[in-house]
Amino acid sequence: MAQSGKGKLNYRCPSCFMRDIDMDMFYDPNKGEYYCIRCCYCGKEEDVLKKNQMARFRYRSMLTRITAWED
Amino acid sequence: MADKLILNVIHRPEMVPEYAETAMKNDGNGTGGHGALLQESLDIFRLQQEIAHKNGIKTTIQMTYASLFNDEAVALAKEHHAAYGDEISLTLLGLPCEQFREKYKTKDFCIWMFSKEDKIAIVHDVFELFFERFGFYPESTGSYYLDAFLINHIKENYPSVKCAVATCFEEGPKAYHTCNNSWYTLMDGGPWNPWIPSKQNTHAPAANEAEDSGIVAIPHLSRDLIACYDGNGSNFGTHPQNVLRGMIYEGDQYPYLYNLIDQYRHLARYNRGFCYNMMFVGPGWLNKLGRWEAPHSLLVKSYEDGMAYYAALKENGLLVDMTMAEFADHYRETHTYEQPECALWRDILYGSQKQHFWYCDPYMRLTLDMNQGGAIIDLRPYAAKLEIPVGIGTKHVQDVSYPFLIQANYRAGYFTHYAGEGTVKSAKVAYGGEETDLCLCRTKAHFSEEGNTRVVTLDPVEVVLSGVTASIQTVYRFVEGSSKIEVRRNVLSVSEPDAKLTIREYVTACYGTTEYPEDMTGIVLSVGDGKGREETIEYAYKCREAAMDSASYARAVVPQINTALSVEGEGCAFIREGYAFSPMFTLGMEAQRGEKETLVTWLSLAKEN
Repeated sequence: MAQSGKGKLNYRCPSCFMRDIDMDMFYDPNKGEYYCIRCCYCGKEEDVLKKNQMARFRYRSMLTRITAWED
Repeated sequence: MADKLILNVIHRPEMVPEYAETAMKNDGNGTGGHGALLQESLDIFRLQQEIAHKNGIKTTIQMTYASLFNDEAVALAKEHHAAYGDEISLTLLGLPCEQFREKYKTKDFCIWMFSKEDKIAIVHDVFELFFERFGFYPESTGSYYLDAFLINHIKENYPSVKCAVATCFEEGPKAYHTCNNSWYTLMDGGPWNPWIPSKQNTHAPAANEAEDSGIVAIPHLSRDLIACYDGNGSNFGTHPQNVLRGMIYEGDQYPYLYNLIDQYRHLARYNRGFCYNMMFVGPGWLNKLGRWEAPHSLLVKSYEDGMAYYAALKENGLLVDMTMAEFADHYRETHTYEQPECALWRDILYGSQKQHFWYCDPYMRLTLDMNQGGAIIDLRPYAAKLEIPVGIGTKHVQDVSYPFLIQANYRAGYFTHYAGEGTVKSAKVAYGGEETDLCLCRTKAHFSEEGNTRVVTLDPVEVVLSGVTASIQTVYRFVEGSSKIEVRRNVLSVSEPDAKLTIREYVTACYGTTEYPEDMTGIVLSVGDGKGREETIEYAYKCREAAMDSASYARAVVPQINTALSVEGEGCAFIREGYAFSPMFTLGMEAQRGEKETLVTWLSLAKEN
């Protein structure tokens, strides 16, 4: 059983990201999943991407280009 | 040049980019390695330079110690200086290399954390090697933080230096926390835009020539003044890869980056035409392995897009790019010591209507939160000009933050759990046995100037107490050089014309630099009338209170930070000691006011030895 390493990209733990902690996850090739060594999150790439999208819920203006600035 | 965004773009050839090194060392797949990293670093620097030049933007090349040993990096800097007018500068970041480790026998790399002796030795080594390679001494330098000792030492020995990257705005406990408590840039409490540091403390601007350290300081990145206050600063800056780190993008679109730049352009409105941006991306953020879930291609695209936006502004006559040395000259020509920096900042990310107002001068830095009735939620007493030696051998090896009196996130603000009070400056309004706090009245602010006074006028708010409705407007006035804030509570109307409201102007404060409490023993609270009557409480966590009618002040002397904080005015002054579960103190002034009447008080800061 080989040790874990980084995956193809340094995915962070989405659960920790939502509490303002950047934790790079490690990739377990035997299970084909990423896991966090701080909290209990683990999931396949598809789930990580889905949760990352969920983390953006607070950025309601993320895609709005603002053009008026006067107070 | 007024109203044009002034831009400093800085690049550094870092032979072992700190982020890339960590990422590659942890790469269990065995890809890459140290040798590949060295090769990659110069390529990234070259790419960054190419992107800037392609867009017609000149840069400041901050040579690292490691890069001074590399002939190719030195040759590139000379070539780009000749061809594009880039400034060849010197950073105290990027110290790690074989030669450095051999000489100093350490893995430390943050210049402000070294002992005084090592700081002197390293500065000498780095500056002299720079001279050896280029034949002149640099005009600018920097690091993530430069303490006052370092700046004074550099200026004394290398007087050509006139500009430095000197702090990262609000990179304190929040950044530490975000990095799994492993990134020791504990440096809250400094200015967000350029300033002239005092000789006593880098964060506190100089009030006059005698205090002038001799350099113009710029912060590391231009950051979102709302998002950074409650979140990780490295997600919300004029650094395209910071925006990716914050996941503030969809696909390859990140309008937030342009909104952030534009809001900095808008700050000209509050600063007599002055507005500024700096972009300083280390090579590790563009490494070929990708970073923060983003592939290399997106890292590069975001850098290209950011630079292209600056280029478009320049083409339209809305931006001037400068080197750091050029900027220092410009800043000296256009600013006086006591001229404040102001920012009425709006939320551009979360979709709220929230506003903060930031104010910074040689006597204080403060933040008003319009979501809390314009309450002061952060206050740093620059008037004290605290001399805090930092680095190994001092009591502040890592924590270089300028202390707060108020920090509504680290020590609660209006809202606390179960018991006690949090740090905030606001007012309570009472009538007929009912009371409310203006913190509960969301409002909006408007900025204006009257001569040497900056004025923040809030939209009136309505309070309803025992069936009576009153409209109250708050106005803050900041007189240049006064070290005081005038606070006016105008009672515009009351539904029962003869009713008198009780207004309790108060500040609840403590001191510290982190979320954790400090010992309050030694603080002295007092109320008095300035004519001989005075009552005092020496802080002992005994929950005592005192009040005095016809008084003129309520004051706290906080010897731990050499600061006196006062609420001044005319009325019944009161003081409240805290207790162990609520290690705070409260100062206030209470008075009755009816329709068309105003309560005027001043919040004053002074150095107290």
